[in-house]
Amino acid sequence: MTLIYLMITCFLFLTLMAGMWRILRGPTAADRMLAAQLFGTTAVAILLILAQLAEQPAFRDAALLLALLATVTVVAFVHRAWQTISESEDESS
Amino acid sequence: MNPADSLTILLLMAGAFFFLAGTVGLLRFPDIFTRLHALTKADNLGLGLIVAGLVIQADNWAIVGKLLMIWLLVLLASAAACHLIARTARRKKILPWKR
Amino acid sequence: MILSLVLRGSVFALLWWALTEGNFDAWWLGGILVMAATEISRRLIPARTWPLMGLLRFIPFFIERSLISCVDVAWRALRPGLHIDPALVRYPLRLPEGFPRIFMANVVSLLPGTLAAELEGSDLFVHVLDGRSNYWRELTQLEQRVAQLSGVCLHAIPGTASRQDGS
Repeated sequence: MTLIYLMITCFLFLTLMAGMWRILRGPTAADRMLAAQLFGTTAVAILLILAQLAEQPAFRDAALLLALLATVTVVAFVHRAWQTISESEDESS
Repeated sequence: MNPADSLTILLLMAGAFFFLAGTVGLLRFPDIFTRLHALTKADNLGLGLIVAGLVIQADNWAIVGKLLMIWLLVLLASAAACHLIARTARRKKILPWKR
Repeated sequence: MILSLVLRGSVFALLWWALTEGNFDAWWLGGILVMAATEISRRLIPARTWPLMGLLRFIPFFIERSLISCVDVAWRALRPGLHIDPALVRYPLRLPEGFPRIFMANVVSLLPGTLAAELEGSDLFVHVLDGRSNYWRELTQLEQRVAQLSGVCLHAIPGTASRQDGS
């Protein structure tokens, strides 16, 4: 079982790294935000598996916090950052 | 290997597959709306399957409750976040990609 | 009234129990928080009757549709070639204002190939992943379900699909 947990964790980590491409490419700030959201969900999954693997219940708390913070991040982004970022950047998409 | 473990492995692998699909969608789809489709749907099912796989292995019912709570929270949060991003994109007159 | 308080209290106690993973070392702290949460929820969320049977009937439908929608989008993302034909569509809602409309707007994003872009008065703007798919039936079906859930009757016939590109 340990091996399977490790393999799944590594796989999820790789998809997360692949998502990096979207952060680098953009083109708009919102696209980068989407990638950040993907990171949130993937990290929650990784933490939950690690909690089971390492028998560390604290990892589940970290996952819970990450899930909560992801919401706050998106709301903050939409209401603050996205409004002030130059319009030309978005129009070029 | 007992049946519970096999079922967990199956569910975890299915979950990982949907995470892969979500990432591929995020990279391949042409605009923000279509990327949102890929992200919110595939990732939520991916997490749900992984949670289901771990629920089978949980030591007690409280952990089951906590895992389900985390999944529901992510589900609610992403539905709201998805709507928020799509709405702002529309208000900012970002044109949807056309074939 | 007392029943409602007890119910709220038990929900919060259950949440505390799950959060601590069944560890009762800090039961006194949990007790205080459960009482505080019960009091706050009593002030913020007025008592209402929940359509329990309606929700129970809605959940299987919801799970089925969201499973299909995930498989659909995963398939489109993974197979070679771009199998999408996106469009922004205006859907005139027949549901009454308030909870039913907001509920519908939130659930639309989990149906196969649809994404709620905006709720504007009685119009729901939906981004469709594939304009060739049968999304319109999907939407009317969901609306019917939501109406059932909130105990209202839909009468007017939905208008024809109007493609609203961009604006």
